[in-house]
Amino acid sequence: MVQITINGKQIETPEGTTVLRAAESAGIYIPRLCDHKELIPYGGCRLCIVEVNGWRVPMASCTLPVSNGMVVNTETEAIKKSREFILSMLFSERNHFCPFCQVSGGDCELQNAAYREEMTSWPIQPGWSNFTVDTSHPYFILDNNRCILCRRCVRACGELVGNFTLSVAERGAASLIVADTDVPLGESTCIKCGTCVQVCPTGALIDRVSVYQGHDKDLTEIKSVCVGCSVGCSMNILVRDNRIVRIEGDWEGKVNSGLLCEHGRYDPLTEARQRITTPQIRKNGKLEPVTWEEALRTVSDKLSPLAGDKNGVAAIASTRLTVEALSMFKELFSDRFNSNMVTSIEEGVPTAAATRFAEKNGAFEGKLDILRTADTVLCIGANINRSHMVAGFLFKRNMPKGTHLITIDPDISELDDMANIALKTKAGSDLALIKGLQAIIVKEGLGRVSLILPNADALIEQAVQTSGISHEELVQTAQMLAHSISPVILFGKGITAQRNESLIEELHRLAVLVGAVDNERFGLLSMKGEANSLAATLLGLDETFKLNGHQAVYIALGDDYVSKSLVERTSKAPYLVVQACYESKLTEQADVILPVTIWSEQEGHYINLDGRTQQAQKALPPHEGVYDNTTVFSEIAARANMTLKAEWQKAILERKSSVSLN
Amino acid sequence: MSLLDMDERILKIVELADLRSSPITDLKEPDESGVDVGVLEGGINNSANEEVARKMRSRAKILVALGDCAVFGGVPAMRNFCGVEAALQRAYVDAESNEPGSEIPNDPELATMTKTRAIHEVVPVDYNVPGCPPDADVIFYVLSELAQGRKPELKNNLLHWD
Repeated sequence: MVQITINGKQIETPEGTTVLRAAESAGIYIPRLCDHKELIPYGGCRLCIVEVNGWRVPMASCTLPVSNGMVVNTETEAIKKSREFILSMLFSERNHFCPFCQVSGGDCELQNAAYREEMTSWPIQPGWSNFTVDTSHPYFILDNNRCILCRRCVRACGELVGNFTLSVAERGAASLIVADTDVPLGESTCIKCGTCVQVCPTGALIDRVSVYQGHDKDLTEIKSVCVGCSVGCSMNILVRDNRIVRIEGDWEGKVNSGLLCEHGRYDPLTEARQRITTPQIRKNGKLEPVTWEEALRTVSDKLSPLAGDKNGVAAIASTRLTVEALSMFKELFSDRFNSNMVTSIEEGVPTAAATRFAEKNGAFEGKLDILRTADTVLCIGANINRSHMVAGFLFKRNMPKGTHLITIDPDISELDDMANIALKTKAGSDLALIKGLQAIIVKEGLGRVSLILPNADALIEQAVQTSGISHEELVQTAQMLAHSISPVILFGKGITAQRNESLIEELHRLAVLVGAVDNERFGLLSMKGEANSLAATLLGLDETFKLNGHQAVYIALGDDYVSKSLVERTSKAPYLVVQACYESKLTEQADVILPVTIWSEQEGHYINLDGRTQQAQKALPPHEGVYDNTTVFSEIAARANMTLKAEWQKAILERKSSVSLN
Repeated sequence: MSLLDMDERILKIVELADLRSSPITDLKEPDESGVDVGVLEGGINNSANEEVARKMRSRAKILVALGDCAVFGGVPAMRNFCGVEAALQRAYVDAESNEPGSEIPNDPELATMTKTRAIHEVVPVDYNVPGCPPDADVIFYVLSELAQGRKPELKNNLLHWD
């Protein structure tokens, strides 16, 4: 620990802390603009200057490490004057018109800093040169006129997201924030995650959707969890007058540390599907609105007699439902109705193989956090840049520091451009390929554990033949994996969809061989699918959906999207009940539609891909006339004289999980 | 107009101070013998504005710049991006609403349009009172402090630029 004095206050702080953070820990605020707690200290804006006893000039406290006995003053007359001067320079550099800027009045860190110094004017006027405004992006606008060149956006894009789209062109006062090689943002490599907008201290990067919808002080913040995929990012839903104005990543979020992707941040705001708000029943071939009482009675009259019949009701639920809803769904149709066809929309494609492997071998998967320190990541059958974007951020950002990426996928993966090695394999060749990689590692003596493979050469030859990848490339891949210190293997639907446990087993063997998995480290993860993918498989909702003489089909779709295949497979259902939020091809062919709450209107738990149980909060009151998913299940049970225990915490423990739960 | 937002409090100011001149009083210019406080609103857009500012400065002990245009240049200053010539051309000739053949007015009696400037760019200002517009509370505070012989300090809720 180091002792320092700031404004006369004795502070004990760990070595390596910056003066700015040390001051903060003691409740002393030093004005700053380019600093952001999730970003590497940069020292760009100079606003955080402080006086250090014995030092000739003021120092930027954000990049100044503490040293023992240091005496610092942050509010001397000289410092205050310098701060005002620095702010004057910042204002004069660009064109700030506060009266019509949407962040003015509390949300602009630049303006707030000037107010703090009690500045009533800018001693230096701007030079009145025009800077570019880029409005080509669907979600945000980049106005260089309001930019202070703090580079938070550039740093966030690289250091946090690992996308490296934003950068700075030109130099000095002519510097401009640009995308890629100065192309319009909307045509750039931007993945639309919006992190740059969230970190921008001024109105230079503004959100098109939430702009002018209210200042932060007018908004209520609801801490919740994203239900876009199984990563389970923590997010803050900002609400005004029962309307979602904006969604931000929660910097305290355990999984995502403040990051979100396009789907988490913007999809809920651009929802275009037509909401269903009254129950409907097909009468004379036409869907007609009815009361809940009539709808539930109709459903009950049809379903209750089918209880106990294994081929009675086939039921299928979305993995976007809360675990509370999923467990009641399972209890209702599997345990009470005794149906032999109760599954999820994912049908276990992204999960079942791993769960089955875990049932025999115990939990084998690691936690997402391990990606933050991985030096080689192998993505096999997992296009995570599309499906689980934020997980990708955790290692992509380390690639300039030497983290390697290998992709193995028969299809083009959006990660390929970044990858050190991108293997385009022939479909169905994964098993041979994985065995081939093992064989190369064993043959070259690079394995971390001993593995005897008497027929190594044959395995390698078979891998080359089956996958269509050259021997040389396979060797390179094997070497890159084997030579890394902290490798991580990610597998996705491309692997699990094959429903082949031995594929998981061989992948696990490869992980052990290269040191991705040992007694302490668990560097093997499956990406799973939607928000409650893991919960669904733990509840046993992971079978292939097949209609086999079932007399009715019940689909608890919630706010999920519908696949063509599901619509086709249920088009011949003798009786179809659809519990859904939005109109779709599926509701068109339903006999009964039961309208329910969307993700933001309900609360409940989600178990993310690495086994973390997280609670989503209700951000909005439900739309008039819709029921919560759980209420619908209870009502159907009650009308069939059944009671549901609804003990999801117990229910999810009935099966072994592929990843430890916490 | 924002001055009138003070409502009945304006009477308090009149009690404390003697209003010598304003654009709506008979006397349009401050007394030659000088005044204690001069308040100017608006930026310096042309030669006439500049003259007013210089006259006010020379006759007022304390000069107050009131509102964002006076303090920063404000919205009119956006024409500085294109320059005086282009702004005149656009306004008097090119604008869709103009009759064909319209010309830029060139009567020698007219003031010459200049770059838009904050007042402090032309004459020294003692108190800048930003706001678009400044709140009634802010205006009242500033005038009442000056009328009572104190220096107004704009901070916290009284300080805003929008």
